[in-house]
Amino acid sequence: MSHKELGEPVASLGFPRHTLVSLLIFAATWEVLSNLAPFLGIPPFAIPSLVRIAKAIGTITPIDVVVTLARVIAALIVSFIAGLALAMAMYRSDPLEKYLSPIIRLFMAVPVVSWILFAVLWFPGVEFRIGFVLVVVCGPVFMIDTLDAMRSVPRELRHMMRSFRPTTLQFFTKLMMPAIVPTIFTSWKVNISLAIRVVTIAELVGAVTGIGAQLSNAQQLFSVADVFAWTIVLVALLFLLEAIVSRVEHRLLRWRA
Amino acid sequence: MNTRDPGGPPPIEVRGVRKVFRQTTTGQSVVAIDRLDLTIAPREVVAIVGQTGCGKSTFFDLMIGLEAPSEGTLRIGDKSPHADFDYFRGKIATVFQQDRLLPWRSALDNAKLPLELIGLPEEEQRERALTWLNRLGLGSFINAYPHELSGGMRQRVAIARAFSVQPDIMLADEAFGHLDEVTAQELRDTFLALARESGSTAILITHQLEEAIGVGDRIIVFGKSAKLLADIHVAHWDKSQYGVLREAIQATLQANSPDPRLT
Repeated sequence: MSHKELGEPVASLGFPRHTLVSLLIFAATWEVLSNLAPFLGIPPFAIPSLVRIAKAIGTITPIDVVVTLARVIAALIVSFIAGLALAMAMYRSDPLEKYLSPIIRLFMAVPVVSWILFAVLWFPGVEFRIGFVLVVVCGPVFMIDTLDAMRSVPRELRHMMRSFRPTTLQFFTKLMMPAIVPTIFTSWKVNISLAIRVVTIAELVGAVTGIGAQLSNAQQLFSVADVFAWTIVLVALLFLLEAIVSRVEHRLLRWRA
Repeated sequence: MNTRDPGGPPPIEVRGVRKVFRQTTTGQSVVAIDRLDLTIAPREVVAIVGQTGCGKSTFFDLMIGLEAPSEGTLRIGDKSPHADFDYFRGKIATVFQQDRLLPWRSALDNAKLPLELIGLPEEEQRERALTWLNRLGLGSFINAYPHELSGGMRQRVAIARAFSVQPDIMLADEAFGHLDEVTAQELRDTFLALARESGSTAILITHQLEEAIGVGDRIIVFGKSAKLLADIHVAHWDKSQYGVLREAIQATLQANSPDPRLT
């Protein structure tokens, strides 16, 4: 069997054989550690067995998954629209870029925990707090990526486009937007990962629904199996969203060699 | 919608045009074009030759209206391509040195681009773009993306894109210089035939003398800062004298002053 064949996807599962093998090795190691824990001086609840984790996954409440997913998607859409609009305005106006860039950089330097605390201090509504934190963290990433992508559109293409005298709207819709689509997809993938992590922390503070809130409950009840179960769901959610974006990306960017 | 003036393309009048750029690094002024006077009649096919850095590309940008003269006037009919920028939408088209096709668009969609910008109905866009792609021998490749086409085919798509709007003025900036000689000659001939047939005024900017002599009704020789060194009507030269003409233009460019054989 060649190396290439080893790396080819397992048709029925849809992911590479290497991934499957490494996951199986990880699971087996985990199970061994779980059984050996008492002999290693580790409390048995700290490394729950796979069976216990599987049972905990069976008790997952889908509504919390849906709530977290809805928060992430809504916030990402708002962040994307705001980031794109700001990037377009900054691309068009040098003074605006000069005044806004330092503020955006400042926002990006503020730790997520600080934003969560600010949100708790400033806003009474839980949903608004979570949305605010997600938008303020993900929006600047979309904006910076989009602006950089716009600046990277080859000068020759911009020159060609201008020679045909487009309106400002046509210039953006016919040239700039399609040209930055690859970067936008990359930005979405980065931001999905970021948003999933941030939403969990934001939900830990004050929320009564969502994966973060359930993680907090599990921690208060010392239910390590539940913590692992929710974490697995969170990771699965991230992979699912990334897979959806990759599928759309593959479809829309067929023109690439 | 047809943007073409029913009276045919208007004349081009260049009077005392000067273009000065300020270098961003040193702050020094660079004179790219110094007091250029030129008239190009409707439907003329003009080749502009000059050495690298002589101001050809600046003149090209002035013609398409992306730059304004620092002094003097450049008028097409009674309008300025810079000040009346929108007026010339669909009236001036360009073919560049590289094809400059949009990589995410098929050949057909690239050829349609200027038609979309002038707001033609979708069906007419498709019909016109198809017509021009077929005329350029690309009927079997309309759905191909640029990366699936050869350099010559991509340049054909770029030519189809430019002609699809049926412009009054067609500009080509070193459009064939990067292709192999056989392909370049073939495309030059096609371009010329289409320009004459469509009744556009055609201006080809080149540094290749063979190309200039081969395509132009008229050859304008630019010296440094686009100084007009010679204005040659090719019809006044017998084909057997083309070798002499070539040598004379070469000597003019090297000396940066008109060779006596051209006066």
